[in-house]
Amino acid sequence: MITAIVSLHMYWQLPILIVVISLVYSATRYDEWDSILGEAFRWGSRMALFLVGIGAVLYAVSVLI
Amino acid sequence: MIGGILSYLVPGLGQISQGRIGKGVLFLVCLLSLFHVGQAMGNWQNVYLPHQDPHDPTRGKNPFRDIFQLRWHYAGQFWIGVSAWPALYQYYGGPVPSAEKSPFWHNYQRPPRDEHALNQILVNSDKTPDLGWIYTVIAGMLNILVIYDAFAGPAYGKGAHRTNPQTASEAAAS
Repeated sequence: MITAIVSLHMYWQLPILIVVISLVYSATRYDEWDSILGEAFRWGSRMALFLVGIGAVLYAVSVLI
Repeated sequence: MIGGILSYLVPGLGQISQGRIGKGVLFLVCLLSLFHVGQAMGNWQNVYLPHQDPHDPTRGKNPFRDIFQLRWHYAGQFWIGVSAWPALYQYYGGPVPSAEKSPFWHNYQRPPRDEHALNQILVNSDKTPDLGWIYTVIAGMLNILVIYDAFAGPAYGKGAHRTNPQTASEAAAS
């Protein structure tokens, strides 16, 4: 468990990546800033949830098998 | 059309030229940062275009063949624009500062001379270099969306507003 937490350090840039991708993607959909930020938040949340879900599944597999 | 070309050359430049300065600066800062941080994570050795056989003068240089046979990463990185052109410059053997004078610029986006040594670096390091080239490819691919935005406007149309799903369903019901 501790090893898994320590190895997370290389993913520190992942939240920044999610913010950048969702902001750029949303800014290509809309011109208005409130729409851009709202869409970016929605996409960012979805991506974060997806990645956390994948991480949880992989962690469960590594522990159980 | 001009906007699309400008946004290919430098991400966001087309939007800035169209007066959409905030969006243009957002694209410029985000995508160029992503691309260069990705390069730095890969020890500045993950954006390049190798030649199939540099010692065989009978084989002509064909970047398309070499991209798809040797380094498909560059097919994604290429779309970041001018920032990825040094790889083409190195591919065609343009003059660069000597290794003694400026080792960084000598090797900038140059194909690795010793691929075995590069593989050893990749094998012996953590996953940071692997994430690095992914960042550079993501930056290039996102710039395709930016080019489209500069060429034809935002995907949902000019002046489009994001609708709240709840409000939209209420409007549809009434």
